[in-house]
Amino acid sequence: MTAPEIVLRVEDLHKSYGSNTVLAGVTFNVTKRETKIVCGPSGSGKSTLLRCLNLLTIPEKGSVWLEGIEVTDPSVDINKARQKIGFVFQDFNLFAHFTALRNVSAGLEIVKGVRKDEAKKIALEALQKVGLEEHAKKYPAELSGGQKQRVAIARALAMNPVIMFYDEPTSALDPQLIGEVLEVMKQLAREGMTSLVVTHEMGFAQSVGDEMLFMMEGRILERGTPTALITDSGNEVTREFFKSINKLYGRFEK
Amino acid sequence: MSFWESFLSALSEGSIITLEMLALAIPVSMILGVVLAVARVYGKKPVSAIAAGIVGTFRGLPLIVTLLILFFALPKVGVYLTPFWAAVTGFILCSGAYQSEYVRGAIRSIDVGQSLAAQSLGMNRRKEVLHIILPQAFRRALPGVTNEIIYLILYSSLAYVVGVSEIFGVAKHFNSLNFRPMEIFSTAAVFYLLMATVAYAGFRRLESRLKIPGLDVGR
Amino acid sequence: MLGEFQTMIWEFFPYILGGIVWTFGLVGGGLGMGFAIGLPVAAGQAYGSRATNAILSAYVWFFRSIPLLVLLFLFYWGIFPALGYKLDPLACSIAVLGIRSGAYQSQIFRGAIESVGEGQLMAARTLGMSKTKGIYHIVLPQALRVSIPGWANEYAIMLKDSAITFALGVLEILTRTRYVVMATMDPFLPYFFAGGVFIVLTYGGTKIINLVYEKTKVPGLIRRA
Repeated sequence: MTAPEIVLRVEDLHKSYGSNTVLAGVTFNVTKRETKIVCGPSGSGKSTLLRCLNLLTIPEKGSVWLEGIEVTDPSVDINKARQKIGFVFQDFNLFAHFTALRNVSAGLEIVKGVRKDEAKKIALEALQKVGLEEHAKKYPAELSGGQKQRVAIARALAMNPVIMFYDEPTSALDPQLIGEVLEVMKQLAREGMTSLVVTHEMGFAQSVGDEMLFMMEGRILERGTPTALITDSGNEVTREFFKSINKLYGRFEK
Repeated sequence: MSFWESFLSALSEGSIITLEMLALAIPVSMILGVVLAVARVYGKKPVSAIAAGIVGTFRGLPLIVTLLILFFALPKVGVYLTPFWAAVTGFILCSGAYQSEYVRGAIRSIDVGQSLAAQSLGMNRRKEVLHIILPQAFRRALPGVTNEIIYLILYSSLAYVVGVSEIFGVAKHFNSLNFRPMEIFSTAAVFYLLMATVAYAGFRRLESRLKIPGLDVGR
Repeated sequence: MLGEFQTMIWEFFPYILGGIVWTFGLVGGGLGMGFAIGLPVAAGQAYGSRATNAILSAYVWFFRSIPLLVLLFLFYWGIFPALGYKLDPLACSIAVLGIRSGAYQSQIFRGAIESVGEGQLMAARTLGMSKTKGIYHIVLPQALRVSIPGWANEYAIMLKDSAITFALGVLEILTRTRYVVMATMDPFLPYFFAGGVFIVLTYGGTKIINLVYEKTKVPGLIRRA
């Protein structure tokens, strides 16, 4: 049996802001078709982690490997690597001066040099995939939060990435809009998109997550299947965290 | 030819000179404004310092002094500019410096998330600034930039000091021949009034044309 | 030769610097008059009737759409004599600078008044203040503080505009510089010197005004960019 192909390899990642250590040695892998969940209390470093992986934030120490190429090596063209990562931000960060369609096709045209009509076709397909093709001509300000985030997902998908990074994709959304975004993410996960998701949506984690990393104070405190961590952790700290989450969000749907 | 006939015909010719100066100075100053702003925000230390120096100098110097230096002082170091070109150069430098402040403020007001999103797609700095930042920043800077352009239209009258026969120069010349200051200078005033008002109306229309929901055209 | 250079420094430069007194006379008079006109005009535009607003807006439009140079000549040779006033170049320049600055300053204050928000005036009125008292005691003080950055800008503009009055022969910095140039046949040093003086006065002045702004800043009051 062939070993599962490692898409992302993270080794001993460190990041500090002054005297404040945010990442204190993080190591893990993401294999192909895997959906990896990262969770933990605020300040645990989970928010900084994703940005260090595509070098939006530069880590002090450690290395990151994407499909066998060391991204953290200064001689490697980071822009080429970023094209292979689909990044979804907590604040959407849609380009305010572009329509939804242009937002999705922008990366293709500007970065990959795809021809206008070809890019438009791919963009439309991506929008269809997230269910927003009728809103193609709308500007971000005219869309709801859930729609904006789905356009952001389409924008990332259009680049045909090998892995998707979701940075707390639903944290900035009103409760009733969270569902539509999670549905899209679940759909993509089921179709085999390799994903690294920072979230505290435990229902989503249990539904499609393959492995969960629980982070605390810049380290991975525990790792295992989502269900194991959430309901049956041997670690006191982990148990406390999920107890409070459970209280906060009530019984989460699967 | 009556006084009015000769005066108005001379004024019309003066207007053409004014418009020629503006036709050159306005677009080039806008380009310079963007270049200086980008240099200050994104340039490395030496580049941004030079840009800051240029902006500081031409915002601190009165336009009239700049014009006098360009036309009278530069020949001493071997640079000879005709009155027309001295004036146009002065306008470009002065207005460009002022405009760059508006553009620079606008660039810095763009949410950092826009840059992050651009970079995460794999855009290098050049593409990020050209395709994502500047289109938004320029829209935000538009009220300030158009304001500066209207100033330029009015301050073009200073070109007479270096010998350009634009509107005011013509009026002053006529006044020295036929002393009728009320009529002469009121008429000159009307010419500028018209240009400024038309420009203002035109810019308001441009701003509403460029309006994108959610992207404040000028905050 | 060195001798000429020394003459330049010791005789002519002080002469040019002497113009600073006149320059500040123009700037002070112009800004002061502009303030006295601009503030009421702004209040009138913000709180006045439709008719008042129309008249004031016309004034603003007129004096912001005509070059200073044209206004100076129009008033000095045309309007003031026609009205029977015999104004010397300095007085006339201050008057024109002042009336014109009033138009520009009114827009600074108007924006500031609008940014203060009607909630403030409403609160004042619920306390029993008349509209005038409310505007005077509550809205204007806040608006004035918010206006300081824009006003610092107006100072810088006025300083540079003062040089244009050379056209009427006012003995400010630029006029004197031109005399020196004519006397010495050297256009290089005098103009650069004058340029340096203006740059120092511009940035020094705005720095001082901004210092005042920092000292009088009210925490929580929205600053206009």
